[in-house]
Amino acid sequence: MSDEAAVQGTNGSLRTRNPFQRSVAPPVDVFENGDEVLLVADVPGVPGEAIDIRVDSDTLTLEAKRQPADASPALAREYDERSFVRTFRIPAGIDAANIRAEAKRGTVVVRLPKAAAAKPRKIAVR
Amino acid sequence: MVIGFGDFDDTFRALDLLQRRMDRVLYDWRAAPPLERVRRQKSPWPLVNAFETKESFVYKAEVPGLAQGDVSVTVEDEALVLRGERKADIPDGYEIRLRERPPVAFTRKLALAGKVDSDAVTAELKDGILTVTLPKAKETLPRQIAVKAL
Repeated sequence: MSDEAAVQGTNGSLRTRNPFQRSVAPPVDVFENGDEVLLVADVPGVPGEAIDIRVDSDTLTLEAKRQPADASPALAREYDERSFVRTFRIPAGIDAANIRAEAKRGTVVVRLPKAAAAKPRKIAVR
Repeated sequence: MVIGFGDFDDTFRALDLLQRRMDRVLYDWRAAPPLERVRRQKSPWPLVNAFETKESFVYKAEVPGLAQGDVSVTVEDEALVLRGERKADIPDGYEIRLRERPPVAFTRKLALAGKVDSDAVTAELKDGILTVTLPKAKETLPRQIAVKAL
């Protein structure tokens, strides 16, 4: 794997308050070790079953659908209950068939395992 | 002669201009506050939506990643106070490639829109949303007055 950022957001803008926009990009952390790349996104208000992850050749799209806003009169409105959508470019050397995801407490963790050929290997010297 | 004096002067002029531009770039860079600080000042954390129903006030805060022990909810002099901390969740042995979810320690004091029955306040945490329900104080609820026929 190269030294560049392992997973790059292709729509990097963070949550904006554009009322014409139907979705917002969730904030994301990306971690990497020798075995895998971890992508952690904040998707508050979305249960696991409403999170969709699609892998299409070298892109990964995370979509978390949020339930419609409450109908009660609003006393304060600091966040919009819009769905979260963000697309990432999958770096080379990822075993795309074995990407797994897990939702917990309003965050989703996507595990992108590295293909065997991309893992660092130790060669025994005889 | 390949390079005339005129060309030579131009070269120094260009170098001088380049140096001044570099100085300006470096100056701007030093003057700019670090990214993290800008983001913290920009918006409070957590973000809160509030609604009013007939019987209660409902406050909902976006607290992704927080567990039960990470947040405390209190009602203090006509205000709802949320205190807590979202700890760093960098897994052991991993390198950071992108960091948009920094750890945060927070205190948010939200003025209440009316009197509440502070003994009956409930709070629940689900899918990263903290929902606090504050029943309105009994004396502020609308009362039906029986009409007696004389």
